[in-house]
Amino acid sequence: MNLNEELKKIIVKDLFIEDITWDQIEDDSPLFGEGLGLDSLDAVELVVIIQKHFNVEIKDMDEGRIAFQSINSLASFIRERQRS
Amino acid sequence: MNRGAPVAIAGIGCLSAAGRSLKENMTSLFAGKRHAAPPVRFSSRHPVSYPVFEIPEYDLPNDASEIKKVSRTCRLGLSAAVEALQDAGLDAGQMTGTRVGVCIGTTVGSTMNNEGFYRDYLSGMHPDMSVIESFLRGNPASVIAREYGITGPCQTVVNACSSGTDAIGIGAAWISSGMCDMVIAGGADELCRVTYNGFISLMITDDSPCRPFDRDRKGLNLGEGAAVLILESDRSLLERKGQARAFVLGYGSACDGYHLTAPSPDGKGLRKAISDALIQSGRRPKDIAFINAHGTATKDNDRTEAMVIREMFPGAPFFSTKGYTGHALGAAGAIEAAFTIACLESGMIPANTGFVSPDPELGAIPVIENTGISKDIALSDSLAFGGHNGALLLGLARG
Amino acid sequence: MEMYIKGLGVVGCFGSGAGDLAACLEKGAPPLIAKVSASGPAYLAETSKLETFVPKKSLRRIDHFSQMAALAACLAVQDAGEPSSGAGLTGLIVCSGYGAAQSTFSFLDSVINDGDACASPTLFSNSVHNSAAGHISILLKMEGPCLTVSQFGMSVHSALLIARQWLHEGRADQVLFGAVDEYCNVLGYCRRRFFGEDDTGIMTPLSQERQSAIPGEGAAFFLLSKEKNEKSRYGAVVDVAMGRIEEKGMNLSGDAIYFLGADGHKSCDRLYKGVIPRGIEAACYSPLYGSLPAGPAFDMAIAALSIREGRLFASPESVKDQEGFRIIRGSNTAAPSLITCLKLEKEDEYGIITLADG
Repeated sequence: MNLNEELKKIIVKDLFIEDITWDQIEDDSPLFGEGLGLDSLDAVELVVIIQKHFNVEIKDMDEGRIAFQSINSLASFIRERQRS
Repeated sequence: MNRGAPVAIAGIGCLSAAGRSLKENMTSLFAGKRHAAPPVRFSSRHPVSYPVFEIPEYDLPNDASEIKKVSRTCRLGLSAAVEALQDAGLDAGQMTGTRVGVCIGTTVGSTMNNEGFYRDYLSGMHPDMSVIESFLRGNPASVIAREYGITGPCQTVVNACSSGTDAIGIGAAWISSGMCDMVIAGGADELCRVTYNGFISLMITDDSPCRPFDRDRKGLNLGEGAAVLILESDRSLLERKGQARAFVLGYGSACDGYHLTAPSPDGKGLRKAISDALIQSGRRPKDIAFINAHGTATKDNDRTEAMVIREMFPGAPFFSTKGYTGHALGAAGAIEAAFTIACLESGMIPANTGFVSPDPELGAIPVIENTGISKDIALSDSLAFGGHNGALLLGLARG
Repeated sequence: MEMYIKGLGVVGCFGSGAGDLAACLEKGAPPLIAKVSASGPAYLAETSKLETFVPKKSLRRIDHFSQMAALAACLAVQDAGEPSSGAGLTGLIVCSGYGAAQSTFSFLDSVINDGDACASPTLFSNSVHNSAAGHISILLKMEGPCLTVSQFGMSVHSALLIARQWLHEGRADQVLFGAVDEYCNVLGYCRRRFFGEDDTGIMTPLSQERQSAIPGEGAAFFLLSKEKNEKSRYGAVVDVAMGRIEEKGMNLSGDAIYFLGADGHKSCDRLYKGVIPRGIEAACYSPLYGSLPAGPAFDMAIAALSIREGRLFASPESVKDQEGFRIIRGSNTAAPSLITCLKLEKEDEYGIITLADG
């Protein structure tokens, strides 16, 4: 399972998304606002989810804003952090 | 909202990290002294440490052993009640009966979240049930009622961060409706590991001492404490030849209906709560000497609140005292009501400690040094999780 | 000042809605006794009907505690024939004895299992006592005053005083008022530790010898107004009082029918005999919804239903006849005009809610 797929599955499961399935999430669609329609509470929950599953820390929401733009941006953020 | 009658405040008690009494608190505020530090009573594992405003154990009154058995929140509440009653010139015997009520705001004080008990339960260790017994006996309003033999209405308000404000508003209504002659009204909350971890998880805490309304603010620091106001009917005051120290002139409450943890960006709930408090008091925005803001130092709260203050009270001085006490959750609104009255009495408001750089997005700057005031009414407001907003209009004179 | 009941919404082990409660009252026995793992029997509620009011995707972050409250609130508003946001400025009051207990422990689970730095912010937000009120105000777009109260078994009485207050002050035109409590395994465990094991699953309230309380969960909501109109077919709340029983006892009227909040807790149940006027007629319905701090709200709901139907429902068979007063059985009773719901707890606390046929 590649990282994008893993992220989609985790997001759907841990954020209790019911109206779409993981494979319907586009790699490039916005996660917040439009697209998946997540909000500020989901954002902080996602920080915890990323820490728990990937041991990658997101220090504040300035970092979060960049990482959470899409599945692609989140995956590359994680890969970069795991390298260092 | 109908016009209402002022309700006398006969006595005040207050306990926080800034002082063991209202007087000590105000000394710290006007001296610009604050002491935020990592928690002592509990530990946690976070990459960084988040300072809190903790009351040292030796500052908790050395009570009779019965009182020591109740929760820390209840001890804080009782301590503030003792000071308030003394301040009002009342002794315990005068509080018995059905026409005396108790209304206390809290969050931790009503939550069964004892981590030690739960860990033992999970590991199958059959934990000591005294923790649960203590919780079942420990409703903050009930504990105060039993301590003083009070048999009138008894209520613990759990409206998150506006609980203290709401409890005072409700207590005042019990007096003005004729249901009670006296009400012990206020708030109490203790610091605990659960709320510490909870607020950190929401990423709204600062790893330095907080900076309300500052451009670079990063969030809140938790605190603990209690404050109690003795509210009293005119008839009761007259009968015992007591004196009113100040008055509750108006109270407002309204929801945003917007989000569970963030305030509505247009501040509509806060505006409504403040408007209702003004309507009930019959006063106008220009009558206000200052606003004691909720000012938690989170990005969202301060932005919304500053906008509402700026638009409803153009040019009026405002400040947050959470830089001195931390955010004491259910106690905050009551502590800030106590501070508001003390400021009116001294004709002075304290600097908004922690503020350094104006935030252009806010379009408003809090007071940055101790400032004299001349009018005799002021507003204290609170914004809570769940989008609840509470506001109190307090004044030195009845009319 | 009277508070007219315009609408009623209930959720419990009997189902959801006034119809399900009425059907359960007719039958006289709870439809479901659930065995919940090692923590003993409990009467549980389910909330699938909430999806008829709120799209499922909007429910994803709302826990069971808040879902029960939201469903009962929506049912009350619907029952009153109101548009979803109500008419005029509507205040919201929610009360609960234990709050969002499950989310509180689930939050602790996240701390214990995943570490302090991985505590779940969503679970924390839901664990705060006023989360139910927060969710309801968002779902129903409410903008009026809002309050959550927690006073164990006296929560309903304490909070109703405020509903009356707000209507009197003009702070709201009507009040959506409700009580909610949820079951969780820790609660069941504590009950077993305190009272021992009794898996018969039958509540026998008012029994002097037997500890028979079975924990329940659910929510009961009411749309209250100070104005009587043709919608107020449930009558009105004419009195609310709470306090401590004095040494000389209580001065209760012999004119009312009494609904007793005895719920199988031996130490509290035995208090009723000492205060009820001799010769009155009384009912006890707790075996139909379980033992929970929000219980008095269910008695209030049943009183409202009784007034609407112009009859009194029989108490369940497990409520035995008592010396000194008559337990209501069978359906041949006159239409009730005054019902007093009486709750006694701890050593000396009382709460009274009186409904009258408006």
